[in-house]
Amino acid sequence: MVDIRSNRRDAGGRSVITANRLLDGIVVWRMKDGAWCTLISDASLIPNDQVEAILDKVKPEAQSQGVLGVYGVQVQEDEAGRTVPVTARERIRAFGPSVHPEFSPQDFAAENRTRESSHVG
Amino acid sequence: MSADTMIREEVVPVNRQVGLYAYDQVDRTFLRERIDQFRDQVARRVSGELTEDEFKPLRLMNGLYLQLHAYMLRVAVPYGTLASRQVQALARIAREFDRGYGHFTTRQNIQFNWIRLEDTPAALEVLAEADMHAIQTSGNCIRNVTSDEFAGAAADELLDPRVHAEILRQWSTLHPEFTFLPRKFKIAISGSPQDRVAARFHDIGLIARPGPDGRPLFEVFVGGGLGRTPIVGTKLRDDLPEEDLVAYLEAILRVYNEFGRRDNIYKARIKILVQALGAEDFRQRVDTEFSAMDRARYRLEPALVQAIRDRFGVPAFEPEGDAPALLAQARKKDRAFDTWVRTNTHPHRAPGYLSVVVSLKPAGGIPGDATAEQLDLLADLAERFSFGELRVTHLQNVVLGHVRQDRLYEVWQALSVAGLATANIGFITDIVACPGLDYCALANARAIPISQKLSSRFADLELQREIGALRINISGCINACGHHHAAHIGILGVDKRGEEAFQLTLGGSGEEDASIGQILGPAMSEDDTVDAVARLVDFYLVRRDGTERFLDTYRRIGTAAFKDVVYAPA
Repeated sequence: MVDIRSNRRDAGGRSVITANRLLDGIVVWRMKDGAWCTLISDASLIPNDQVEAILDKVKPEAQSQGVLGVYGVQVQEDEAGRTVPVTARERIRAFGPSVHPEFSPQDFAAENRTRESSHVG
Repeated sequence: MSADTMIREEVVPVNRQVGLYAYDQVDRTFLRERIDQFRDQVARRVSGELTEDEFKPLRLMNGLYLQLHAYMLRVAVPYGTLASRQVQALARIAREFDRGYGHFTTRQNIQFNWIRLEDTPAALEVLAEADMHAIQTSGNCIRNVTSDEFAGAAADELLDPRVHAEILRQWSTLHPEFTFLPRKFKIAISGSPQDRVAARFHDIGLIARPGPDGRPLFEVFVGGGLGRTPIVGTKLRDDLPEEDLVAYLEAILRVYNEFGRRDNIYKARIKILVQALGAEDFRQRVDTEFSAMDRARYRLEPALVQAIRDRFGVPAFEPEGDAPALLAQARKKDRAFDTWVRTNTHPHRAPGYLSVVVSLKPAGGIPGDATAEQLDLLADLAERFSFGELRVTHLQNVVLGHVRQDRLYEVWQALSVAGLATANIGFITDIVACPGLDYCALANARAIPISQKLSSRFADLELQREIGALRINISGCINACGHHHAAHIGILGVDKRGEEAFQLTLGGSGEEDASIGQILGPAMSEDDTVDAVARLVDFYLVRRDGTERFLDTYRRIGTAAFKDVVYAPA
């Protein structure tokens, strides 16, 4: 859900748009074409100064797109070039519970993508 | 509403389950109707007829939270007691609706972390078939009533508190006046002078004992709690008679409902009201309300209490025989078993029996987690060795209440095979930890990984025995679900500009010598915190006097010396 701790917008920074899927609560990220995916690596990167405008557009469509709790998450590139949220909280959302690495979205991706296709309009 | 309408009096049922109140048709019909209602609400949410803002309070009333990664279903375990068939139902939910495991909480509930919204009504049906539900595990209502995990078994118990816990469950379930309180409301009840329920840290804590005429009397504590403002509860009554139990609690709730703050979530718990009014003013308001009530309507008559008691099954204990001698032989023969018996059993009131505490805290494990297979095994062991009954502890372990001493070795062997025979109850690795930032939407920091590092570091049983009784509790945020304030060493996760950090508190206790742990100093990284705990333990081992516990040494020496151990440059 939307959390003030995750709404950082550093000047010159970039963000991704996230939400939880309505039917199962799974974390999803918004792609360039407006569809939602389960891997942050597939998310569309947005300059921070454009985040609010996109949120204004996306939030009213949340129900029809099968998601809830839409908000922006500031990210950066790690040494390996991966898109990584700047806060611990959002890193755990992006990569799953650290105490169950087998439940990371990366490992559950195939199943989630199958389910996603039937839920997201 | 009167006591006889709030609490049902019925004929004694056949096939009573030991330790559990037997549901009747009224209970089962109610649960079925409630599930049908929720199924309709879920459908309306999915269709968009209900917005999330409209749906959220409805799902919370059915125990369904939205956490970081998924929906979470919190299932109530009334006063911490489960029948083996109920444990099997929990295993089924873990297997069919979740990802193969459940997590026992610090309030004797169990949570499932990966429930799909669509599946929730079906999961609730599985629960209902086993006379369980997820009602009142969330929201600003009276939550699941907790009790002593050794209720009806402990040698030191004066009175089995579960009958009155059940009375309070019936009284509080869907109580029309108390469904929208200023904040959540938690009640704990014990019948032993050894406080194993943290009574002084509850909104209402009750300690029961028999009065001169044999009828129960209750010590009543009010306004205790942890969270942002930790407070040890105030004793309102020393000798509340049984007949007035419901009326007096209703009076407390009415005062809270009327005067508790609704404008500020951080000041809405009853503890803030009691502090703001002062204990005497609060007591007077309760007494005024109590005096104005039609007490006859609320009176708990002995016949009514007996009717409730009659719906509980009672264990048919066998004669002691040579059970103690056979146990002694087994302990002599197997040192590992002897070690486990010393730490993981509790004296029983019946000769020839013991209560067994099954540790859910293996070295490097996740406190309180149990797989579906482990749940099935526990159900099986409960069936074979403990009259089909299992208990959940608020310290995130489980208890087989009544095990014959000459069958203890079999129990231990079965637990060992399943990785459930860690001999660490009450020791430094018997750590309490909330789900923390690995799951919880409110958390600032992860609580589980630090507990795993600590339990790995102190895994050596000889070392743990040398250290002795030492409670570590870990919370991932100031809401304190990990009860860090009530631990000898508490660890609190905080957020430092988006990164996790940890504060230490020392000197807390949730028992009859209740005290609130004091913050030691600035927050540290996870690894530095683990190292700091190790230095604190080393310091204690050097400075302890005789058989002092860590807590005793801390209280004797004071904070400054311990603070130096953590923060002074080497």
